[in-house]
Amino acid sequence: MAHRFFRDRGQAEEAAQETFLKAFAQLKSFEGRGSMEGWLTRIATNTCLNMLRSAKRRPEVVNADLSDDETEFLETVSSPVGAETLNAEQKVIAVDLAERLLETLSPEDRLALTMIDGEGASVNEVAEVTGWSESKVKVRAFRARKKAREALAKLLG
Amino acid sequence: MNHITDILDNTSFADLSPGELSKIRAHVASCDDCEQAFEAARLSSLLLQERVSQAAEHAASANPFFQTRVMAAWREQQAGSTWSLGRLWNATGALVASMAATTAALAVLMFVAPATNTSDQQTATLTPYSAESVVLGADRDDNQLTNDQVISAIYDDDDEGK
Repeated sequence: MAHRFFRDRGQAEEAAQETFLKAFAQLKSFEGRGSMEGWLTRIATNTCLNMLRSAKRRPEVVNADLSDDETEFLETVSSPVGAETLNAEQKVIAVDLAERLLETLSPEDRLALTMIDGEGASVNEVAEVTGWSESKVKVRAFRARKKAREALAKLLG
Repeated sequence: MNHITDILDNTSFADLSPGELSKIRAHVASCDDCEQAFEAARLSSLLLQERVSQAAEHAASANPFFQTRVMAAWREQQAGSTWSLGRLWNATGALVASMAATTAALAVLMFVAPATNTSDQQTATLTPYSAESVVLGADRDDNQLTNDQVISAIYDDDDEGK
């Protein structure tokens, strides 16, 4: 769960540890109405969102920020004959670009986009994990998708 | 154009139906702006999926000492909270002791100090000296002289002076 939010292993472990400490402390409040996994996931989500809120957001990614390899990668994958499967080097560049793109979004938008577009989760699943209404999830996903698409369109253009 | 971007923003790229995809492809063939939007949406989906794949790999190879680390942190937190309670208890004890001392001091002032004043008044009543006589150093014996004795003493002094 924490790896969804944090690419850095140390940060992900810190979030996971914080989640378990909160869970131990609040174990008495778990009434057993839902699943333990769902309860833990909710705590983990809130912990990760709080950690992301305290982190500084990156400004929009612009062409000047891209390395030569990244520019070449974008040209390759956006061409009509662009590779559908990426090699190891391209995967590293893709993950790095995705991370930089996600860092420009608010924590909530980032969560919605990662879960729905990245993992293929449904709106209902995101609503359950976060405790948000389904319409809020849809709005977050719409906004994040649009922002990511527009940022990438600028990089491609 | 708005219609294409609406579809792209409302639906995850991976969830686009074949019908929607063919409709979009037909449109973007003749619209450069929509083509760019379509490519950006496809790229966004690709990047995110790679990001999620990497996250899954990292999660699968979790730190084997993670449980030990969490349990150590938990014990540390528990010890910290016990220590805090101990400090709180000590601080409360000191506060209660100082309040008790203050109350006792006030009680002494209220009940013992007025009693001391009363005994002073009684002493003052018993002693016939006025403040002026004490300051001027007058003797009790002088006050006990009769008028005749005072007059004779004055005249005796005058006779001795002559």
